[in-house]
Amino acid sequence: MQRHRQVAAAPERRASETWEAIGQLVVATLERSPDIAGSDVAAAMDAASSVGRMLVAGGHLDKHAVVVVANPVYLNITTVSGIAATNLDEDLGPVPGGTTASAWTIYLPSPDHLGDAVRSAITGSSHLSAEEPPAESTTKSANSEGANVLNLDALAQRLQERK
Amino acid sequence: MSPTSTSVSTYTRTHTAVYLADVVMGTIADILAELKIDITSLYRDWKQDEAAIIAWIEEESLQQVVLECHQPDGTVAPIIEFPVAYKSSGEGDATFTADRAALARYRAKLERVPTKTTYGIICTFRTTTHKQQPGWGPASRASTDGLKSLKFGTLASAPHAALSMRYLH
Repeated sequence: MQRHRQVAAAPERRASETWEAIGQLVVATLERSPDIAGSDVAAAMDAASSVGRMLVAGGHLDKHAVVVVANPVYLNITTVSGIAATNLDEDLGPVPGGTTASAWTIYLPSPDHLGDAVRSAITGSSHLSAEEPPAESTTKSANSEGANVLNLDALAQRLQERK
Repeated sequence: MSPTSTSVSTYTRTHTAVYLADVVMGTIADILAELKIDITSLYRDWKQDEAAIIAWIEEESLQQVVLECHQPDGTVAPIIEFPVAYKSSGEGDATFTADRAALARYRAKLERVPTKTTYGIICTFRTTTHKQQPGWGPASRASTDGLKSLKFGTLASAPHAALSMRYLH
């Protein structure tokens, strides 16, 4: 299920603190899975922090989300700046679904002029991407197709048994 | 008489300082990325620079932040100044605004610089004393003689101060 969380940025938090809050949200969500180590997620967020702070301070995350894809988690995280940040009703608790997640990727927005900086910052991490995140419907339909294949197999087996 | 309730938001100088420091740091990062200048040291020093600018705006000692681009042939251009104007008590609006859309349009028109151009960030002060901050020491500004000045106008505004931008090239 697609979820959206908003994190208060300036003037409530400085850019470095905002990126840390985003990191804590992502870690708290994914570390509930027995297949994902929180330290790995924290390391990925830390690797992205150089460019993450810049994306926050430039106001880019106000418009373009950091997207965490870890089926069934599909989490969009944006920031809120200005006066709205000071009275934002923030929810930084873990997003439901993390307990069954296994593979995970964090997609960072890369506005044109920052593309090189984002790609450079994520080099070496297999869990960070500067690509467009897959649409949630794409990931779901892939799963559905898998389920249909299984159902068809079961149906074929039943038909065989009746013969 | 029917009961009434009011909600009063109070914004501190820290709110103003954090907001304006974020805008100036984000703008510097965007400009350097646009000019394809290596920003490794900006990443590395981000926390200490952010903390210093916040502290200096909060104590109202900061006059302006200056971004100097040092070209390989010794030319220092462009130079981008971010003056801070402090508002007297009660003058400020309870709002935080930043003209990021206009900045994006402006940024795209900046003159390109040669490869291997580096940068420096300098802060100047309006008071005789200011708190010392880690990683910062005395420095002198490059001359602006012969450079044309272009005003961007107000870049961001907060209850206790406003930030503007001037482009010298």
